Amino acid sequence: MSNDICFLAEFDGGTPARSALELAAGAADLARESGGAAVGLAYGSGAAAGAASLGAAGASRVVVLSDADGPAIALAAAAAATLRDDAPLAFLAPATPNGRDLAAALMGLLGLPALGPVRAVRIEGGRVRAEQSTLQGTVITVSESAADAPQPVIILALSGTFTPLEGGSGKAAVTTAPPTDAGALGAARIVESHPADAAVANLEEATVIIAGGRGVGSAAGFEPLHELAAVLGGAVGASRAAADAGWVPYQLQIGQTGKVVKPALYVGCGISGAIQHRVGMQTAENVVAINKDPDAPIGEFADLFVVGDLFAIVPELTAEIRRRKGMTD
Amino acid sequence: MKIVVCVKQVPATTAEKRYTADLRLDRAAAESVINPLDEYAIEQALRLQEAGAVETVAYLSMGPESAAEALRRALAMGGEEAYQVTDDALAGADQWATARVLAAALDKLAPDVALMGMSSDDARGSLVPGAVAAIRGLPLLSYGAELQLTGSTARIRRLTASGFDILEAPLPVVASVTDQVGEPRYASLKGIMAARRKTLETWSLADLGLSSEDLHGAALTRVVEARPPEAKAPTERVENLGPAEAATRIADWLTARKLI
Amino acid sequence: MSHRTTREHDELRAIVRELATERIAPRAAEIDAGSEFPWDLKELLAGQDLLGTCFEERHGGTALDNVAQAILVEEIARADATTSLIPIVQKLGALPILIAGSDEQKARYFPRLASGEWLIAFALTEAGAGSDVAAMRMRARRDGDDYLLTGSKRFITHGSIAKVLTVFALTDPEAGGRKGMSAFIVETDTPGFSAPRLEHKMGIRGSPTAELNFDDVRVPAANRLGDEGDGFKIAMATLDRSRLSVAAQAIGIAQGALDFAVGYAAERRQFGERVADMQGIQFMLADMASQTEAARQLTYAAAASVDVADPDLAYWTSCAKLVAGDTAMRVTTDAVQVLGGYGYVSEYPVERMMRDAKITQLYEGTQQIQRMIVARQLLKRAGVSRDTKSQRGTPSA
Repeated sequence: MSNDICFLAEFDGGTPARSALELAAGAADLARESGGAAVGLAYGSGAAAGAASLGAAGASRVVVLSDADGPAIALAAAAAATLRDDAPLAFLAPATPNGRDLAAALMGLLGLPALGPVRAVRIEGGRVRAEQSTLQGTVITVSESAADAPQPVIILALSGTFTPLEGGSGKAAVTTAPPTDAGALGAARIVESHPADAAVANLEEATVIIAGGRGVGSAAGFEPLHELAAVLGGAVGASRAAADAGWVPYQLQIGQTGKVVKPALYVGCGISGAIQHRVGMQTAENVVAINKDPDAPIGEFADLFVVGDLFAIVPELTAEIRRRKGMTD
Repeated sequence: MKIVVCVKQVPATTAEKRYTADLRLDRAAAESVINPLDEYAIEQALRLQEAGAVETVAYLSMGPESAAEALRRALAMGGEEAYQVTDDALAGADQWATARVLAAALDKLAPDVALMGMSSDDARGSLVPGAVAAIRGLPLLSYGAELQLTGSTARIRRLTASGFDILEAPLPVVASVTDQVGEPRYASLKGIMAARRKTLETWSLADLGLSSEDLHGAALTRVVEARPPEAKAPTERVENLGPAEAATRIADWLTARKLI
Repeated sequence: MSHRTTREHDELRAIVRELATERIAPRAAEIDAGSEFPWDLKELLAGQDLLGTCFEERHGGTALDNVAQAILVEEIARADATTSLIPIVQKLGALPILIAGSDEQKARYFPRLASGEWLIAFALTEAGAGSDVAAMRMRARRDGDDYLLTGSKRFITHGSIAKVLTVFALTDPEAGGRKGMSAFIVETDTPGFSAPRLEHKMGIRGSPTAELNFDDVRVPAANRLGDEGDGFKIAMATLDRSRLSVAAQAIGIAQGALDFAVGYAAERRQFGERVADMQGIQFMLADMASQTEAARQLTYAAAASVDVADPDLAYWTSCAKLVAGDTAMRVTTDAVQVLGGYGYVSEYPVERMMRDAKITQLYEGTQQIQRMIVARQLLKRAGVSRDTKSQRGTPSA
């Protein structure tokens, strides 16, 4: 058993995903507390070449599980072998489909405790404790592994739980995990890939999100939201109603069955604020809502709630921000 | 071809939730429903059955005795059989214990597809499908926007960051689907009445060859604190302003918070 | 007499409430504003097997007991009174056949009524024969193996959209309404039938209320219900039972208004406090709730009396309809009061509920007729015979 903190690091084309940078920073912080090392388990295209760069993000060591794209669960056996050898204190995985599937498989294969999705992790008296929001945000719980449970404790972290290190340097020591037969668990494979015609913004990385809902009324109705997002350097998101209506692709859906986001600023336009949407954005630092309906539930939890017509207000707001930026730039 | 859909009873979104003194969710206190995301899995299974790709749709649930209601509701939507694992030793089961128990029950039922919703409404860990696949040593097809069954393989369509992929695995598989498979049907009255006559079998842990020790007392994790969320600063409301004035107010607000 | 609902009843309520909340309530305002029959919701109810609850399983129905049927109507009416008329009238129109129809007639019509493929309506009332049914003028003349029906009906709910009607007409005008009336099943695509006019109503605006014309409409004798002269008896037996649906509808409307008022009072703030924290409002809400509950329990007791074919069932159903109709009117009026000015405008649903509630005091026997029926039963029990001189026809519809 060690006091290391392991984390899952996804790569794409040799570059670590934002989640990898966040988890590296979180692992480094926790490892400082526990007196261990932050160890990355890297996978994805270009992971081998990029692994050392995680040193600047906080990792001391990186084990490369795979150097190719594919469902992460196929790497469960290799990851299990690594964790079994090191038996670290905790294993951090991003609360993404790939991160969850791999974490789930590890929980099942090794009989490990698992917590999450969490919004904060800390070490108290030598134990890893994680805080999560459950029951649609009505209860906050703090959990830990049972007294005699094996380690590591698996922790699924929502995006934004940790903040990537800035200006870090150094290279992590890189090793490669020995090839391990994944068996049937690795039998699912991607047989077709259909990229979208246009690039879709990565909401989880946006610091400003302008989200539209049923009140936006059409695909064209999203245009003023895009303009506002552009002046604020943000991205456009949507409620399930808007995605279901086909006004925006599902990749932009925020909520229980879409993305969980934590931007510095969230502006909800024509979004009623149903609980399913709320759980996807309730940790945004600043929430502004514009809605015609004075009784919209979003009025209950927004920081600033403006009752009015979004199609009249949003263009004015875009113009006003443009003016102010012109004055201060 | 047989599909077993795993369903969980959860507190209704509108129900009041509370934790018991020992920090377990008091499931008896809350009004309960089928986990809404499991209804999509049920809908997917029934659509496959209607299309002739599946002969039998069965349901499996783990929970207190009262959770049989969720199984009855599922049977009212369609399908043939339902199995409930209920045991006092399972109170407070975590995701690992749940996966262990479901895996053991699925071993017994041996379906071609064990199908689940993408997550549960109350905890949202989404770990059970992957863990069941790992424990049973089967392929996992997760987060499907659609499940297709063709001969000896299963396929799902899964959204990616910018489009979608098709994933395929040989049967038997464990799969999970999202809310994009299509709106769940309402149970018809005849369905409800027929459900009262359908098989609902109850299993204890011993029936699955498991003991409380195997399950580490039902949980490898424990809740050490449960509290209401931090009180939020009151909402600042702006009403009855013209668009330009409203925009200025928002811009002032953003400026004051250094967001511009 | 007392009644407890069963687990099956509770399950039915939960399922219909979910359907009504998610699919019917959101349509209620536009159905009212547009005065259009909600064909989509008729399909929805038919698809969920909710239009066949009074029919036997061999005819494609689900043969629910009367308490269950009341719960169904109640939960739909809680969301929208107009839509609740779809199952109500389907049963009302079919009751004469259920009561007096032959096996052949049932087999011919019930499967398509139970599935909701065909709508049926009940054609009894005439311009000059409302509460006083016996004053009917419509004629049915025998012509070989057929009858020829001539005359007109008024205030016939769904009369213009039904495929089938149960129609009451005089086969023996000499014998008078009470003895000379017969009942028929009439298909509305028969030549000579027309529905020339719809009423403009205060409430239940999405439900067409039609004037019907019969100009030598040829009806086979095989479509006569019971014997010649049975019509009045059949009509009264029908109304004794169908009233139950109106009581259930009234309770549903009241419950809808109460639930909305409670939700509103919990949200709305005036004078720095929640409206719901004001005792004056609390007392109103408490009265609304207890009255609605009382009407509900009475209606379930009446439903149980119909289930066991209690000889006194008319007493029970009249008591229930009387209390439930008045309760609906009072509770919806108070709900408007709880909402204050907001209650009076169409932005909120309670003004619609108040307009809808009024009909439950009028149709299938006005409240005054119900009192006459109740009093008649009381006096009969007390052994007080009727004063024949003051008799002005048996109270009915």
